[in-house]
Amino acid sequence: MRFIVVRRTKPHQYIKPLIIVLSLLTGMILVAILLVLIGAHPVTTLVTIAYSFITPQVVKDMLLLTMLGCALLISFKGAVWNVGAEGQLYVAIIPIVWITLYAVPWSASSPPHQQVLVILASITVAALFGAAWGAIAGALRAYVGIDEVPVTLIMNYVAYYLVNLLILGPFRGRYVYGYIRTDDLPDAYKLSINIVMQRTGNAFLDGFLEFIRAIVYYAYWVLAAILVALLTWVVFNYTSIGLRIKILGSNPEFLKAVGVDARKTILTALALSGSLVGIASAIYYLGDLTRLTYPIQSQTASYGYLAILVAWLSMLELPLIPLSAYVVSSLRNAGRNMQIFGLGGLESTLILLGSILLTYSTLRFLTEYEVRVVK
Amino acid sequence: MSDEYIVLKEISKRFAGGVVALDKVTIDIRMGEVLALLGENGAGKSTLIKILYGVYSADEGSIYINGRRVDVHSPTEAIKYGIVMVSQHPQLIDTLSVVENLALGLRNFNAFTSIRKISSFILEKSREFGVKVDPWEKVWRLTYTQKQLVEILRAMLLKARVILLDEALTYLPLEEKKKFYKFIKEFTAKGGSTVVITHKIPEALDVADRIAVLRRGRLVGIVEGTSARIEDVRRMMFGESAAEITYEKLPASQPGGRVVIETQDLWVTGDFGEDAVRGVDLRVREGEVVGIAGIVGNGQRELTQALMGLRKASRGRILIDGRNVTNRGIHEVREVGVGYIPDSPLALGISIDNSMAENIAALYQRKSALINWSEVYKVASSLIETYRIVIPGADSLIKVLSGGNIMKAVVSKEINYCKKALIAHNPTRALDEVSAAMVRRSIKEKAINNGVAVLLVSEDLDEIYQVSDSIHVMNSGKLYGPFPPDEAERSKVEHLMVI
Repeated sequence: MRFIVVRRTKPHQYIKPLIIVLSLLTGMILVAILLVLIGAHPVTTLVTIAYSFITPQVVKDMLLLTMLGCALLISFKGAVWNVGAEGQLYVAIIPIVWITLYAVPWSASSPPHQQVLVILASITVAALFGAAWGAIAGALRAYVGIDEVPVTLIMNYVAYYLVNLLILGPFRGRYVYGYIRTDDLPDAYKLSINIVMQRTGNAFLDGFLEFIRAIVYYAYWVLAAILVALLTWVVFNYTSIGLRIKILGSNPEFLKAVGVDARKTILTALALSGSLVGIASAIYYLGDLTRLTYPIQSQTASYGYLAILVAWLSMLELPLIPLSAYVVSSLRNAGRNMQIFGLGGLESTLILLGSILLTYSTLRFLTEYEVRVVK
Repeated sequence: MSDEYIVLKEISKRFAGGVVALDKVTIDIRMGEVLALLGENGAGKSTLIKILYGVYSADEGSIYINGRRVDVHSPTEAIKYGIVMVSQHPQLIDTLSVVENLALGLRNFNAFTSIRKISSFILEKSREFGVKVDPWEKVWRLTYTQKQLVEILRAMLLKARVILLDEALTYLPLEEKKKFYKFIKEFTAKGGSTVVITHKIPEALDVADRIAVLRRGRLVGIVEGTSARIEDVRRMMFGESAAEITYEKLPASQPGGRVVIETQDLWVTGDFGEDAVRGVDLRVREGEVVGIAGIVGNGQRELTQALMGLRKASRGRILIDGRNVTNRGIHEVREVGVGYIPDSPLALGISIDNSMAENIAALYQRKSALINWSEVYKVASSLIETYRIVIPGADSLIKVLSGGNIMKAVVSKEINYCKKALIAHNPTRALDEVSAAMVRRSIKEKAINNGVAVLLVSEDLDEIYQVSDSIHVMNSGKLYGPFPPDEAERSKVEHLMVI
């Protein structure tokens, strides 16, 4: 009896989510075994990691990463590799800071409708700024032939330093107690719903209520994530540009042969991707970040980079983006918890991530191949 | 002739969507013979030899080599048994040289062997096998024929005892094909064995010792090549549909006065900076089919690509329906309503990672922001039915189709799309005789019934004579003619093709 690997002739219906779950389990077991070497009990390790999947902290990250994952999916489907979500995320905040703090600041005498209009305007201009930032790399790739990967990557740093420059100069706050940062976003423009829940003393019930509180707090984010995912779905299933992007990713020569300008499609893919990052950026700033602190590169949670992982983990399948976002958010959370519970330092987190990604990379072949047992 | 060397016994294979590719096929391959595997598009020929080569695994059945049951789960295992496949599309790395490509598969050298030593070995072997190729030439600079020669050379270097040619000769010009067949005959005379997949019956009769015919996944029969008659093989391949095959001249069109495709002193540069098209003046009127005959590599590809706006003209003008579209890009040409069947269908004609519906939508719904899928599926269903494309559904990926059905998808989409003109380059290559006859009829009907101007570029002279209202010959970038088909003697046309 031996194992043989043969190419699949028809795709397995559930293989993709199955691979994600299998990688996760294998990675967890691997890290639990490895941590035995530093004296950690494997059950403690497994419980800590498993616990990280059900804590309220994952809600925020998951929602934001779902939006960013969708944004990257738009360009990745066209084999246009936007690794610049991190830069687009911060660049898109610039106009929001200007609108909310300088152009239309909130005051006691402001009319009530100003609140809604400013929030909507913030989201719109953030989308436009994100699109414009993405389009720079798109134009360079489409019309000058410069690879978008290094360009979008370098532009992340350009964005960091641009934001830093603004924080040090025109955006430096007046009520910052000596810190180098922008003023806080006025409460009226904040996109979050804060509710207070009394603790019951029952750990399970309190944990559940904490989850509910987190979901209510980020209710606008839930709505935005659903809208962004829906928009992405519509783009790919009902619009010409979505179809063009898909064909750009599979056969750009054919795209040209039907009379479509492939260069415009590249540009549009990056601009669209940047605009969705911009929307996510507005939601992030208005709902959670609320101010920019110098130097921004040491304050960032690296969501833009994590989103690449989310898109990659989803195998570029839209329905798998939320699942991938959930897995990545939980792993991030698990890394923090492992450090808190004394299961090693940053290296344990990296081992955990590395084990899961290694298993995932290995198991990905199952989408194309199957393993059979022969006598 | 020696006894059977390989036996494929009761092989069955099903694909996605329940498509039965093979149903209990039993076939033997003998040493020292050329076995031709014939069948209509989608009959299961490629699937069968891909199972033997370890690309696919059979759902049922077994493989015997020299009487011993074996499992062939990968090409590497197949090569160990002396089985090497050459496919339609050369499996070479373009950016590497010939010697670098060949060195990748050789086992008689280690990692420290100098590339010069390998090159000398390859040169020596290529002389021994009678294959002329420069080991230091970069693959991207080779012609298609040369690439296929390199593939054959690779097979020989891998000590092949059985060579499987999976439509490997389909895209070769006739003269080159004859050289290949000569080589194959010599190889089998030395005890080797060759399986040739083709849909050209005359070729099979010429070269094969035995002919096996598959139809809809089943083995219809095996006949001796020397005694088989073309009509019998046709009937085995197509059943009653064989009656649809005709090489009779199709009814002549009644061209209108309006010129739809026109070039004036057109010059086009080729891939290597040479003048591939040299001062071509061409006129195709509405409802007319103008055929261009010629051996591959004489500027036909560059001419059709320039007409479509996919390649820049270095001099001269191109007018489509009176509109100057010279160097304006394919977008403007498509706007006029021009269909295009390219010489390289897998690159320019279709996206195999997308569905049939998506491929149609990309062309037909180019100008709409939102896609009207119900309209797209209506067109797709009609094309699938009319052109008898074997596909599980319009939402199936093109890559699950057989080579012939992919070609039918390309051709049907473009014939249906064209409103003013159709530029067709080898539209029936890779199609079986019944499908080819149907496509030729469709092209002619489009010209007669819809007044579409058709420029038909083909290496198949029978096709040119059957469909064209006037004939040109293209040689070394120049265009000769036009000649009326009734008056143009075939020998003269053939002479113009090779002078």
